[in-house]
Amino acid sequence: MNKRYYFWGGALLALTFLTFIDLAGDWGRLSGGWTNLKRFFSESLWPPNWSVLEAQSYPVCDASFDFMCSVAWIGMWETIKIAFVATVLGFLVALPLSVLAASNLSPIELAIPTRVLLAGMRSLPSIIWAVLFMIVFDVGALAGIFAMTFYTVGYLGKLQFESMEGIKNAPLEAARAMGMTRSETAWLVAIPESANNLVSHVLFMFEYNVRHGTVIGLVGAGGIGLYINTYLKLAQYDKVVALLLVVFVVVVLIDALSMMLRAAVTEEGDVERPAWSSLFLPAAISSALHPTPMRSVSAEDE
Amino acid sequence: MEEILVHLHDVSIGYDEPLIAGINVEIQAGDVIAVLGPSGIGKTTLLRTIAGLVRPLEGEVELGVPSRGGLGYIPQRLGLVGNSTVRTNVEMGARVALSRWYFPFLPLPAQQQRHAQRAMEDLGIAHLAEQPVRILSGGQQRRVATAKTLAQRPKLVLADEFLGELDDDNVDIVMQTVRSAIEAQNSAMVMVEHHEELAKQIANRIWRITDYTLVEEVVE
Repeated sequence: MNKRYYFWGGALLALTFLTFIDLAGDWGRLSGGWTNLKRFFSESLWPPNWSVLEAQSYPVCDASFDFMCSVAWIGMWETIKIAFVATVLGFLVALPLSVLAASNLSPIELAIPTRVLLAGMRSLPSIIWAVLFMIVFDVGALAGIFAMTFYTVGYLGKLQFESMEGIKNAPLEAARAMGMTRSETAWLVAIPESANNLVSHVLFMFEYNVRHGTVIGLVGAGGIGLYINTYLKLAQYDKVVALLLVVFVVVVLIDALSMMLRAAVTEEGDVERPAWSSLFLPAAISSALHPTPMRSVSAEDE
Repeated sequence: MEEILVHLHDVSIGYDEPLIAGINVEIQAGDVIAVLGPSGIGKTTLLRTIAGLVRPLEGEVELGVPSRGGLGYIPQRLGLVGNSTVRTNVEMGARVALSRWYFPFLPLPAQQQRHAQRAMEDLGIAHLAEQPVRILSGGQQRRVATAKTLAQRPKLVLADEFLGELDDDNVDIVMQTVRSAIEAQNSAMVMVEHHEELAKQIANRIWRITDYTLVEEVVE
């Protein structure tokens, strides 16, 4: 049995290597690549230009703190707002669609077209949606919101209908036998049964959208990406690095917040509350640093 | 005249291969039927077939109860929504007494709320009403499942080993409550039970499944 695993594992690695060689093509093109990269890094990227954290004279800003008039703050805050609105709108649209797409809640004639619709929305990356919506709404946050919402619906819809399909069969059967309608079953059984996963997916999606806000901003759909794009065009790479570091810090913070919230909505005892170190370190090392005490389980008295 | 709630005509049940064949039985109002037999012989499949969750391989299951709310089903795994409160679960039973067009996100009318409250009080779980079901013990969850079915007030209750995990006192409470509800509403119950002695105390009819057939036994 073990030999078979080794054989297939080895075959998979060999196939990956051969495909890589095929794709890589001419290795000669790499000559001098590292030197170029090192020079680019030392001359243009480092040190980051932290003037992006200072108040700017333009656009006009009358915030109470200087920092809130900086490019980093204005851009990042707009990205977070776009991501927030897009996540909530996306969730509101994705929830009924995921009920329609779940094969244990809807007839197959309805589930398949809904899945095709969700797959269609997902197959265009949000950057393409952003380009399409910019044609409609022009450059700015509105195009970003719509682009992200569309992608969120496709992605979240898939995650959610899979969660709903994964719920236990017994509550659904009891509901069917007693004559509950499909909408009652979805609202009263399927959604509460998969609620922990649904909330967790929404939080994940928010975090994903903040990260992705940088990318769709590059094509002009608002947020910090718009500023990154401007600095790229002006070849001010040290400011680009500073903004990317700001994005990194914000994403780590949102990741931490999202992990804590997800732990709060998950059933008691099922998931350990994450330690801060788990953001940066592999799980094994992190759990060694923060051992969780044994939990005692007590059933309530009859 | 006896009210016939379910009539099984020459029914064979199973999934690909028949588990029980040639079933010809009726369930009448007032019946408490215990289904006995070894594990894996098709007792649960029989209940699921009557509940309309599995199609019979042959024959016809004729139901004389309304398709909405007429049939209460307590599966072996109880079929409760663990994340919802006890009250929400029990009210789900009361909800099917309403029209199918009553919006699921609207709260229940006062009368249905009273039915749910009464069922919880009868089964001694009213003090747990706002607790999520998932934190309750196995025995408490069984009482919630029973309360949900009582609040529904169905004509026929199908219960799959729902007395398991209850201690003797609670078996008495649950069974007395269920029996008095059945008598009051002139409904019926089919229960799959492993404990033969217990089943004989409760039931007025026994269906024993043996050698792919269902045999009706006389209760002494």
